[in-house]
Amino acid sequence: MGAMVALAGATALPFVELRANRLVPGAAHSVAAAGPWAYLLWLLVGVGFLSAVAPTEKARAASSTASGYGLVVALAWGIGHAASTLLVGQPSAARVSLGAGVWVLLAGTAILGFSGGVERRRKLVRWAGPLVLTALAIAAAFAWGGLDRISLAREFAVRASSFWTLLGGHLAMAGTGLGFGLALGVPLGLWATRNRHVRSVVLGVTGVIQTVPSLALLGLLIAPLAALSQAVPALRALGVRGIGATPGLIALTLYALLPIVRNTYVGLAEVDPAVIDAGRGMGMSSWQLLWRVEFPLALPLIIEGVRTASVLLIGITTLTVFAGARNLGILVFEGLGQFAPDLILLGALPIIALAVVADVALSALGRALTPEGVRA
Amino acid sequence: MSRRRIGVAAVVVAAIAFALLVSAQGLWQSWLSALFPKQPIVLMPRDTLAAFVLQHLVLVAVSSALTIAVGVPLGIFVTRRSGAEFRALVVAATDLGQTFPPVAVLALAMPLLGFGFWPTVMALFIYGMFPVVSGTIAGIESVPRAVLDAAEGMGMSPMQVLARVELPLAARVILSGVRTSVAINIGTATVGAAIGTGGLGVPIIGGLAVQNMAYVLEGAIPAALLAVLADAALAQVEVAVTVPEAAAGA
Amino acid sequence: MIRLEDVTRRYGDTTAVDSLSLEVAEGEVCVLIGPSGCGKTTTLRMINRLIEPTSGHIFVDDRDILSMPAEELRRGLGYVIQSIGLFPHLDVAANICVVPRLLGWEKSRMAKRVDELLALVGLDPEAYRDKYPRQLSGGEAQRVGVARALAADPPVLLMDEPFGAVDPLNRERLQSEFARIQRELKKTVIFVTHDIDEAIRLADKIAIMRDGKLQQFDTPEQVLNHPANKFVHDFVGADRALKRLVRVRVADVMRSPATVLADSDALTVRVGAGRRRFAYVVEPDGRLVGWVDTNEVDRGLRPVEAMTRMDPVEASVRPDDSLRDALSRMLGLGFRAIAVTDKHDVLLGEVTFAAVEEAMTEGDEHISNQPAEDAE
Repeated sequence: MGAMVALAGATALPFVELRANRLVPGAAHSVAAAGPWAYLLWLLVGVGFLSAVAPTEKARAASSTASGYGLVVALAWGIGHAASTLLVGQPSAARVSLGAGVWVLLAGTAILGFSGGVERRRKLVRWAGPLVLTALAIAAAFAWGGLDRISLAREFAVRASSFWTLLGGHLAMAGTGLGFGLALGVPLGLWATRNRHVRSVVLGVTGVIQTVPSLALLGLLIAPLAALSQAVPALRALGVRGIGATPGLIALTLYALLPIVRNTYVGLAEVDPAVIDAGRGMGMSSWQLLWRVEFPLALPLIIEGVRTASVLLIGITTLTVFAGARNLGILVFEGLGQFAPDLILLGALPIIALAVVADVALSALGRALTPEGVRA
Repeated sequence: MSRRRIGVAAVVVAAIAFALLVSAQGLWQSWLSALFPKQPIVLMPRDTLAAFVLQHLVLVAVSSALTIAVGVPLGIFVTRRSGAEFRALVVAATDLGQTFPPVAVLALAMPLLGFGFWPTVMALFIYGMFPVVSGTIAGIESVPRAVLDAAEGMGMSPMQVLARVELPLAARVILSGVRTSVAINIGTATVGAAIGTGGLGVPIIGGLAVQNMAYVLEGAIPAALLAVLADAALAQVEVAVTVPEAAAGA
Repeated sequence: MIRLEDVTRRYGDTTAVDSLSLEVAEGEVCVLIGPSGCGKTTTLRMINRLIEPTSGHIFVDDRDILSMPAEELRRGLGYVIQSIGLFPHLDVAANICVVPRLLGWEKSRMAKRVDELLALVGLDPEAYRDKYPRQLSGGEAQRVGVARALAADPPVLLMDEPFGAVDPLNRERLQSEFARIQRELKKTVIFVTHDIDEAIRLADKIAIMRDGKLQQFDTPEQVLNHPANKFVHDFVGADRALKRLVRVRVADVMRSPATVLADSDALTVRVGAGRRRFAYVVEPDGRLVGWVDTNEVDRGLRPVEAMTRMDPVEASVRPDDSLRDALSRMLGLGFRAIAVTDKHDVLLGEVTFAAVEEAMTEGDEHISNQPAEDAE
């Protein structure tokens, strides 16, 4: 199936586009623009098809894995080749950008790689070798293969210094919101387990907040905050303004609350009452029970809540630029405003990457912090 | 039973109240003028509030309808024997897809698909699929093995097992996936204003751009109400399709 | 050792325990029994202050428990519950050491104690020390639960239906092991159960409760022979005579058996077997291998040729077993007597049907005097 998708991408859709400058649409070029690399691409798609008919499970896995990694490398060099050849004799404003065909090819590649490696997905060590090799091959394509000439790389080169600042701003904003969310959410979740009324209020309110569209919540926070800072100059001195980091941080904190509060509550409430009874009966104080028994048992679920919250916040942080915050959202919305596809990609791709990395890292942390005795 | 009816009635009343509220242009005019006396224009001139709401609703309705029409059958397919080999792939793809921020996905739709209504619908549709598909898979797989054995043992055909046993028992979980998906769609559609699809995001983003807080409220308040209302309505549907025994167990 | 004076516990309008007075001497097993809702568990949980009495006083070792900090009190009272409540995130050793850790024991002392206790409850320390609760069967988990309660060597054990969730076969095994441990350790035990057989088997004193009120507090023999009222009479059941057998150990009524050596000749057999019709055939080391009809030997056959082989495990009882076990084994095999062996299958004696009958009818004269419709 991966090979089918890859084939469709390679034949039916434009491979790269040559454009007169970074804003106007350009002329489509087929995969033939990749020159000699096109043949390798075809060959690797063929290997992918072999995986469907290979006689043994092992051969199937091997052929799809090989074609998956191979395609990534061949794509990197093929695109580089296309960019360098097409740009010969063109003015410096001209750009070569990636066509839809490349994205579809990449999706097919991901499917091939996945079906090849599905049974050993958990073992990072086995992944390390091929991954490092692939990364080196892509880096080489940047250095010598012309991959640095594609429009996305050019866009990055222009924005390199502000890009890192904005990335840092994104992380700082999402991280701070998450920190506040944790500092508030865990105690609230704990309180909810001790008091029925608190539970219904806290879970109800955070649930409603979660439903409100983030942009609307941001808007709803800005107006009153602006009024507040007008009325109380001392607050303005502290940096509380209608526009700027404050409304964004409040919104992010509120969004982080639901997953953290709910998971803390569920994690603590799900601890077997017999365990608590036994602990109390043996003479543990409420604090000892909480620290030695309840929290360790609830921790995996709490981390799971933090994971959900952090993925959510990395996305919503993007929107805080409307309230004047500075982060990767600036690239996205400037790009949308200028109709500059590469600028959008430059903002959106790192945001997606951050979210995926946060997801993977916090899943791993959750597994690591799961007490051995309760691991599935 | 009566509690259910009260819930449905409350949602219907709230929906009518919401419709009346957003149609009352004059009310908003006077109210926002009172709140922001220094602001000469308090309602975005581009469209009436009702029109913004309608644009928003159409966008969400079309994309959610597509999402359900494709997502539920896909989820069912991979839980059948014929689709079993795709199950791992679909689960991995939906798990990964759900970690993608919806804003980023929407932004990516523009370079790939262009500006306007349909590209936004496509982005919302694709993104909305993830919770629906994973909800469908989770719902169907939560049906106890023993129940399926009993159904097969009584001579039901696979289609009958699906229609009479699996789907009714999975309905609640499937619907909660739909509910999540619709909530995300309503929220993301707000951002759609940035790629020219209209909707309630227009006054919010426009208001922020020109520092007119009245515009912001004109968009933000109805958007928040709409989201909460849609969520409450779907919660009622969820209650209505829940098998009583399952409700008692939950 | 433990004294309850006029203890009452109310929940709103319902009285769970109604002015209960009890005294349990040091080293005694006191079983609280009654139908569900009779207040037995509430009574137990008041002794370690998991529930506070509404009125009345409870003394442990002549100290009013309300004058001690609850946690300190509980650390001195071992606590075992039906659902066990092992901490799922701690291994067996750490579970056993919960109270020692609270008391600040040294590591080496705790490690030693773990091994001692595991051996005491019949689990191999090497194999079980590092296991997690989810890797244990129900019976094993309950043994660990008992070991945990005994960890800091508390003088008192509170047990709330400890064997209630175990299957019948394992329950009997756990009961007899508990009886063995208790003979060795001589703890003061308060034991809650709803199983009258368990009560009769384990108790020194039985306290029968109904609707929060004490109905009878006496030795099992007295409860069987002189039920205080109709409720107790009915609760004990119609098969009191059979139940009485549970109280009698095989060792108390066994007599020395007629034996012959497997390899002996007919002449020595006549001497060894006395005048009994049947004799047990044993190896020179005393191990039981079968039985023989002495008439057959009289006809000149050697025992080893004439005997019927027996599986010593199937066809014998242990000295610690109850007469009821002996009776059910006899009925199952269709014998009029049953061999008593030790764990190496060495023949120790035999119990005859006549001896069982005698134990069963003992005390009957009292029962016949007991009016069936006793007013309360």
